[in-house]
Amino acid sequence: MEDPDAPLVERAQRGDRWAFEQLVDRHQNRLFTLAARTLGSADEAADAVQEAFIRAWLGLPRFRGGSLFSTWLYRIGVNAAHDQRLKRRTEPLDEVREPADPRDSFHASELSSALQDALNQLDEDYRLAVVLYDVLGRSYAEIAELTEVAEGTVKSRIFRGRSRLAEILGTRTAEE
Amino acid sequence: MVAETHPHDIELFEYVEDELPAARRDEIAAHLATCDVCAEQVRQAAVGREALRETTLLELPDGRRDEILKSLSAKDREPTERRPFSPRLVLGGLIGLLALAAVIGALVSSNQGAGDESSAGDVAAETSGGGGGTAEAVAPQADLSANGSAADVAEELQAKGFRAVVQKDRVVVHGATKQQVREALADRGPGDVEVVVKNP
Repeated sequence: MEDPDAPLVERAQRGDRWAFEQLVDRHQNRLFTLAARTLGSADEAADAVQEAFIRAWLGLPRFRGGSLFSTWLYRIGVNAAHDQRLKRRTEPLDEVREPADPRDSFHASELSSALQDALNQLDEDYRLAVVLYDVLGRSYAEIAELTEVAEGTVKSRIFRGRSRLAEILGTRTAEE
Repeated sequence: MVAETHPHDIELFEYVEDELPAARRDEIAAHLATCDVCAEQVRQAAVGREALRETTLLELPDGRRDEILKSLSAKDREPTERRPFSPRLVLGGLIGLLALAAVIGALVSSNQGAGDESSAGDVAAETSGGGGGTAEAVAPQADLSANGSAADVAEELQAKGFRAVVQKDRVVVHGATKQQVREALADRGPGDVEVVVKNP
């Protein structure tokens, strides 16, 4: 498959900052959506995205183009989000930050929806699969490569994730 | 009523996504008509799918993009041509050092032979003290200076096709001549940013 990012990636690998900035512009919102929907926090998601782009910039010389650049980048994003989650577990509660940017408040309300609450209750593997497939529109092959499982497992996780999500949403509706 | 064997999740998923061959799709449809368990799972999966697909893409807050780009400046990396660690290179370096030591030894003994009172220790201290080859490789003299920030200067050079990186607040340009870099930065004029040109 031809990678639409390839020309910019080649330039960025040679140290071209402008080319990397174009890649940031192309992928920042999708990467942010992935991190925000899997972490359930806009602030932590923004930190994860920032960390992911730094790791990508530093690791770019080692990217050999065996997969799409976006798949490689999403994988870094998933790892950065995972690290944020671990950090959350070790951080004392009184260190939880207030949103500094007005847009963060917007995202905070966006992420407090019933759907996000239901997503937060999903098993991590299911949550990642449904966000990548249904929200971001990635292919089975990409998700399989990114999560290092077979395509059949990806389909199974999406199916179970969707069913569980509907179950949680249904329970909420019944309770309200 | 519940059927005896249920299709696997994967097939139920493919049924929802309409990815099954027609014959198999009909078989699953027939099963769903008689199996409440599977029919409920398929219904739930369809509801979950619709809920997920109603969500929109979130936008990274504006300020964060700037922070990302700023943090890249602080973590500039070498261009890709950097050579990996090689035992052969280390061996070559050691041989070079031994040769240097032999030359210094010869100089010291010839100085002593000529009645010079300086010791071998003094010579060694001078060699390692600064201004020597090793120290120069670590912190080379700046070839040029330019106005603006190091990141801006490097960016301008990159945009003009130079391999420029920021290292310790200096801009290092690889594979170009001083004249080429001077011409490229002519509009900026001399300033606080030191520019080092490396042309092997």
